[in-house]
Amino acid sequence: MSGGHEHDHDDRHTAPLSDTQLRVKALESLLTEKGLVDARALDELIDLYETKVGPRNGARVVARAWADPAYKKRLLENASAAIAEFGFTGRQGEDMVVLENTPRVRNMVVCTLCSCYPWPVLGLPPVWYKSPPYRSRAVLDPRGVLKEFGVDVGDDVEVRVWDSTAEVRYLVLPERPPGTEGMNEDELAELVTRDAMIGVGQARAPERRVP
Amino acid sequence: MNGVHDMGGMHGFGPVVAEAHEPVFHAEWERRAFALTLAAGFLGEWNIDMSRFAREQMPPAAYLASSYYEHWLWGLEHLLVERGLLTRGEVEARVTALAAREAR
Amino acid sequence: MRVLRAADVGRVILKGGSARVHEPRAAKFRPGDRVVARNVHPVGHTRLPRYVRGRRGTVDRDHGVFVFPDTHALGQGKTPQHVYSVRFTARELWGPAASPRDAIYVDLWDDYLDPDPGP
Repeated sequence: MSGGHEHDHDDRHTAPLSDTQLRVKALESLLTEKGLVDARALDELIDLYETKVGPRNGARVVARAWADPAYKKRLLENASAAIAEFGFTGRQGEDMVVLENTPRVRNMVVCTLCSCYPWPVLGLPPVWYKSPPYRSRAVLDPRGVLKEFGVDVGDDVEVRVWDSTAEVRYLVLPERPPGTEGMNEDELAELVTRDAMIGVGQARAPERRVP
Repeated sequence: MNGVHDMGGMHGFGPVVAEAHEPVFHAEWERRAFALTLAAGFLGEWNIDMSRFAREQMPPAAYLASSYYEHWLWGLEHLLVERGLLTRGEVEARVTALAAREAR
Repeated sequence: MRVLRAADVGRVILKGGSARVHEPRAAKFRPGDRVVARNVHPVGHTRLPRYVRGRRGTVDRDHGVFVFPDTHALGQGKTPQHVYSVRFTARELWGPAASPRDAIYVDLWDDYLDPDPGP
């Protein structure tokens, strides 16, 4: 095999590259040769979203809102500014709104038209969020979708589905689980799942501590 | 446009299937397609609304049968060619050359 | 054309590119107003999903003034205008078999909406 496999560590060297792989390589090599993209900038972008930006960011925001009522108030009044206190700003999160779950109201976020998602606090969206089953059914049958995620919603609860059709990005503030009194923000953040912040899951219950 | 991307309320796509411990990218080509799209967008030749519109123009059967980053790849190539930054001929020639190199 | 360099990636991403426009524009609607989504079928880009066209909703909040994608995608300018979160009941969108309690909130621009003339 010829050289130039610097980025193909996960390809089997005996299998030919697919058309898609060839096309991506073709575009990258052409654009690099024309000086339109810088390969090291590509590497930085990949590293940023693969290892640095992710749902642990949003979990910290949620944990602070649970622990600090003044922060929660700021978060609900001006989510962009409150989230910016952590430095979780920028692309696909410039204009944020936080939706509070209560015992009476469950919020769920979708982008039926494509995949819009609050990158600075949740990272890149999971495949299921961007795929036809969720995009088609979240607005049509949210309770059925929630059931598939293991969440049963009572008839007395209102489900609100938010379709991210504009550039406002939504983050769900899940309900704080019972039995978490006295936990610090780091411990609370451990309980906050990505799915809870999209609105298809609950925050985890605390593990039983050995007294 | 009334494309298949406008999916709210459609039937027939089946259950939501979530992969446990899903990686951010499933293949090296996805990483590169993602980064190329962002870096090419930074050139300022198109805006985000144009990039969404580009993906919407993917032939519907192909859109439904392909994966998310394949939509990005299609849209990126469409925009680059539309703006004259690349030609289809250049892309095809490079694909052929790379395929030949792989076959050796 | 400017080329993205490795050293600039962090800063560029953290800055982002908000679509908010900091110019005053009169809002056609206020929270609480009843609206109808227009039954329009643009062949270009739009963020008005088919499932709300012609449907009646209530303005829940005004997000402020933003770029309008329908014109921006075609190189016809930003046409800044207000975007609202509009609440549609599940039954309004999906008929009497839908949940009586649930609602779908869709972000819609001034140019997608008309006042609801009432019953």
